[in-house]
Amino acid sequence: MRSMDDTTYQKLKLFFPQVHFGSEEESKFRSLWVLKSFERSELITEAGNTERYFYFVLEGVQALYILNGKGEKVVLGFSYSGSPSGVFDSFIFKTPSFTFLEALKPSKMLAINLESYQSLFELYPDFQTWGHHFFRDILIGRLYREVELLTLSAEERYIQFMQRCPKELKIIPQKYLASYLNMKPETFSRLRKSTLY
Amino acid sequence: MEHNPLYMAALLITPEDQIQRLNLLMNKIDQLRQLDTSRLTIPPNPKAWSVLEIIEHLNIAYMFYVEKVDAALAKSIDHTSGNKVFKARAWQKIIIAAQRPKDRKRKWKMKTLRKFEPIFSHNMTQEQINDVFEKFNHLHGHLKQSILLSRQKEVSKTKISSAIGPIVTFYLPECFEFLLSHAERHIIQIEETLDLIP
Repeated sequence: MRSMDDTTYQKLKLFFPQVHFGSEEESKFRSLWVLKSFERSELITEAGNTERYFYFVLEGVQALYILNGKGEKVVLGFSYSGSPSGVFDSFIFKTPSFTFLEALKPSKMLAINLESYQSLFELYPDFQTWGHHFFRDILIGRLYREVELLTLSAEERYIQFMQRCPKELKIIPQKYLASYLNMKPETFSRLRKSTLY
Repeated sequence: MEHNPLYMAALLITPEDQIQRLNLLMNKIDQLRQLDTSRLTIPPNPKAWSVLEIIEHLNIAYMFYVEKVDAALAKSIDHTSGNKVFKARAWQKIIIAAQRPKDRKRKWKMKTLRKFEPIFSHNMTQEQINDVFEKFNHLHGHLKQSILLSRQKEVSKTKISSAIGPIVTFYLPECFEFLLSHAERHIIQIEETLDLIP
């Protein structure tokens, strides 16, 4: 657990474009975050445990997945450099998580605990504006994903995803991408060889 | 295989599934700490165990495995090829299935060997009660760390003998699965016991 340097802080600030601080407020805000590192395949959050942090990703890729009735991993989403991460429902409701969060690559993340996270909204009105934009974007993103899963063919889902996903996501094990796109690893592999995007 | 009366679907084991179940189990035991002493220490009938005795039985059972698990992990080489699903062997699958509760019922009630019997007086102090819970957390924390560690190990090379002797051997995933299923069985017994003690 370490505090962050200036370059790291600049990355964090970019995640909160609607927030403007006075200098005293800024150093308080900065002090609320701790730097955490995870090795490849380390479980950041385990199902059955309560999520303690909201994360901002500095480096690495993480997968959020749930186990189905057969104990197989079903990938719900990814986080990566510049994105938020964590198991949000468990974090907010302080209840055991249904999902795992696993580092697929060595990861560096900034973490803020619930009390500090909630204090941001109470102390600084700018965070209400940030929250409005943040949750609106998350909701719309999830809606699009639902539409894609329900209406597109496997090939169309593959193309849509590969066109928009960041480079670092393309180098994680294929089985995670296949699961996220709701297709068998064999199908994903075939599409990868035969489909241009 | 289908005509074999012992045929069952394959038992596929993953460490993540075990971790999730172990976390839920530890949460359940932790919640019992809120209960009145009498509900924890009074057995529903003179021949049965109290809730605390059931927890102590789980502690005793796990203690037989601590060194064996540590030794097996130390002996296992690291692997970097990602997590694999482990398929339990036939005989081990039957032994695990005998422990595992089905539809929240304990199948095949069995008598405990004397070496696994918890022995408590009925007037336990709060300190003694706390000790049982602390011991449970410590031992099952060890189980959790061992499962986590096993994710980075080649687990299909090293066998360990079970607490009932070398007649049953386990690979680590089978051993963890046996211990978890055994604990899940006793969680049901705890719930049944609490139903009988208002």
